[in-house]
Amino acid sequence: MKNNVLELRSLRKKFGALKATDDVSLEVEKGKIHALIGPNGAGKTTLISQIFGNLKPDSGDIFLDGKSITNTSVADRALLGIGRSFQISNVLMDFSVLENAIVAKISHSQETFRFFRPAFSDPSLIEGGFAILKRVGMEQMADRKVSDLAHGERRLLELALALAMEPLLVLLDEPMAGAGPEDTIFMTKVIAGLRGQTTILLIEHDMDVVFQLAERISVLVEGAVIASGTPDEISQNRLVREAYLGSDQ
Amino acid sequence: MTSTLLLEQIFNGLQAGITLFLIAAGLTLILGIMDFVFLAHGSQVMIGAYAAAAITIATNNFYFGILAAIPITFVCGYLLEWLIIRHLYGRDHMDQVLATFGLILFFNEAIRIGFGPAALFTNFPSSLSGFIEILPDTPYPVYRILIILVGLLCALGIHLFVSRTRVGAMVRAGASNPEMTAALGINVKILFRFIFAAGATFAGLAGMMIGPLTSVEPGMGEPLLILSLVVIIIGGIGSVRGAFIAAILIGLVDTVGRVMLPMLFKTFMSVSTADTAGPALASMSVYILMAVVLVFKPTGLFPPKGA
Amino acid sequence: MVLDLFKKFTTLWIILIVLAFFPIFTSTFDLPFWNDVVMRIMLLGMAAMGLNIVFGFGGMVSFGHAAFMGVGAYCAGISQYYGLDNGWYQLLMSAVSCGILGILIGFLALRTSGIYFIMITLAFAQMLYFFFVSLEEFGGDDGLIMDRSDFIFFDLYEPLRLYYLIFFILATVSIMLMLLIRSRFGVILQAIKSNESRVEAMGLNPLKFKLTGYVISAIICGLSGCLFASWQEFVSPDIMHWTRSGDLMIIIILGGLTYLAGPLVGAIVFLLLEELLPDLLHVLFPPISENWMIIFGPLLIAVVLFGKGGLMGVMGSKLKTAANREKT
Repeated sequence: MKNNVLELRSLRKKFGALKATDDVSLEVEKGKIHALIGPNGAGKTTLISQIFGNLKPDSGDIFLDGKSITNTSVADRALLGIGRSFQISNVLMDFSVLENAIVAKISHSQETFRFFRPAFSDPSLIEGGFAILKRVGMEQMADRKVSDLAHGERRLLELALALAMEPLLVLLDEPMAGAGPEDTIFMTKVIAGLRGQTTILLIEHDMDVVFQLAERISVLVEGAVIASGTPDEISQNRLVREAYLGSDQ
Repeated sequence: MTSTLLLEQIFNGLQAGITLFLIAAGLTLILGIMDFVFLAHGSQVMIGAYAAAAITIATNNFYFGILAAIPITFVCGYLLEWLIIRHLYGRDHMDQVLATFGLILFFNEAIRIGFGPAALFTNFPSSLSGFIEILPDTPYPVYRILIILVGLLCALGIHLFVSRTRVGAMVRAGASNPEMTAALGINVKILFRFIFAAGATFAGLAGMMIGPLTSVEPGMGEPLLILSLVVIIIGGIGSVRGAFIAAILIGLVDTVGRVMLPMLFKTFMSVSTADTAGPALASMSVYILMAVVLVFKPTGLFPPKGA
Repeated sequence: MVLDLFKKFTTLWIILIVLAFFPIFTSTFDLPFWNDVVMRIMLLGMAAMGLNIVFGFGGMVSFGHAAFMGVGAYCAGISQYYGLDNGWYQLLMSAVSCGILGILIGFLALRTSGIYFIMITLAFAQMLYFFFVSLEEFGGDDGLIMDRSDFIFFDLYEPLRLYYLIFFILATVSIMLMLLIRSRFGVILQAIKSNESRVEAMGLNPLKFKLTGYVISAIICGLSGCLFASWQEFVSPDIMHWTRSGDLMIIIILGGLTYLAGPLVGAIVFLLLEELLPDLLHVLFPPISENWMIIFGPLLIAVVLFGKGGLMGVMGSKLKTAANREKT
């Protein structure tokens, strides 16, 4: 048996008459960066939401590290080892960068029902927070308020929060969306740096980024996976060129 | 004897339910479409009741009182939206709760200053004070029948408006979706103001009609406000159909319970205990009903599709 | 750590210190009436601080916390009715009853959110209100006249004993809350308010934290209600009327809901307005001196429309701009 962190088996999800996810089976190998591409409305975010537990599939199964997680809650999946960055940045806006990281550190420590000792001045938590920020190179911005951050910086922070749980699998939903060219280059470098440490399922529109990062690519069109393979195989695939790449270039 | 009483109470419950619907209809749209927690809707009921009562007393003509009060409540609602409410759309729910709570205090106090703290009493004309036999040997007041009929007529009108018109299509969608409204070519600001003023008018109408049956006094709107909030929540915020069904349900439970529970309690309790506990428990039953609905259907019985 | 708390919550400490010495002021100038007003400020301020755990720090708009005050008050009243005069016991009863009720109501109410949460909390409060109206044994609508509870170490009929009992409980609650909102639990609660789905994505179940916060706030409101009964020497369903839940919210927003001291500041302003507006009106417009609400209502609307962040926010931003000016 292969070493798959994530395995989807015949996942289906309908919204009324629309087949948002149509019999999707997918395997994500450990340590690989696996990209999920497809035109707008192909159902990429719907699929990610089912993997993360925000949406329930109508049928099919989801396995994380060989165990079925189809019926577990978002919080439980996060504990079992899935981290996620959302399409729209999802960070604690009223907190500072370091405070965001400290909350992640507290969650990771599982020592949450402590009512007396102050959290933000706890040296071990501060240290843990900085370690989280260091992975994405944000330790210089620790004291800045998230509401004052630029868009790209928020995306980076969100990635850091997803990594803080030391997940088996990280779901990145368009991490470059809305980021400027410089941010994109930096973010690409950060994600490339994670290769081998963490398994990543990446949704991204920027094809340069996808072909730079991904070791495997799956193409989703109208809810169904029409092709899966290495970047070379995908760029040679006639079906994909017709359905997707052709129209994009 | 008991069955006659029960039938009479069921009719009273219908009348109370229809009245609640008139209040809740506008409020459910204000909550649902504008996502606005409007607590001063009870004040609109009071304003309607006072306008009708004062004019009736001044002119000695009940019909004229009602006819003149309707435009007054419409203008009140329109001005209120224009002056204050429109600045609060899109604010936190707690801001809205607070500001409209302030409005309640203001309106109650203004009425107290204008008309004194005591209740105003008006009578409906003798032509409406008769009885109709709804069943052989079961007379029922004409005036209450009239309230039920007027209420049903309004309900029909609101239903036709929401289900048959282009503006109603947006109302039905139950969401303030700018793309959709743009597609329909509707000026949202005007639409909101119109719905708000119309809602105020229906609430005012409810106040005018129940005025002669209850006492017209400062703060009379708040118990009705709370009940109509219950109605809206049970029915599903933004759903006019849900509000109608829930209003009738609440009207019946509250009214029938208020009479039947004490009678039931008297079979195994002392009379005075039953007289205290019965009505209070009937009032409780309404909230128990609401809590049960919300526990099983957290967005009410008929949540609009857009929500 | 004590110094740290002092620096962090300066306003709250200043208020507590002023409250501690206030009776000296009233006895010097022979104004015993104001002790009474300040006791009410402390009681409502404490309840509002309790509510603010869910309201300001947890982002849950509960419109039914007066019910917990009522339950606390009836714990005192009913205990005394059956001859259990011990005030400490009554406080314990209030805390336990409100804790259990808080778990039950919170568990059901937290299944909903947004407007539905506001309304379901109101519904439960109304349910309790009518429940106490229905208890003929304890006076129903008319309520129950009672004596001040017996606190063993204090005889509450001695002057100022009640004042300092209330102060002691308020100060204890304040210090606990200072610790609480900076603790891991408090931080997570505020994180949930800021972004619930992010907290969930971090592997935490928000319901657990929201429910815990809800129960703590219910207990604090219960303690306030229990003392309120002794202060008023009377318990009736009126203490838990829905408008009091509204008052508590007003107090919080007036003071500033993101500040621990906000509710106390709000209570001071709210009750001073209640005392002083009639006097002011008596001078300016004698015919409506009783109708102070006609001023207060619009004032409230103005605060919402123009005064974001409450009084603490306004003071805070003034201080901040002053500090910034110094830097530049």
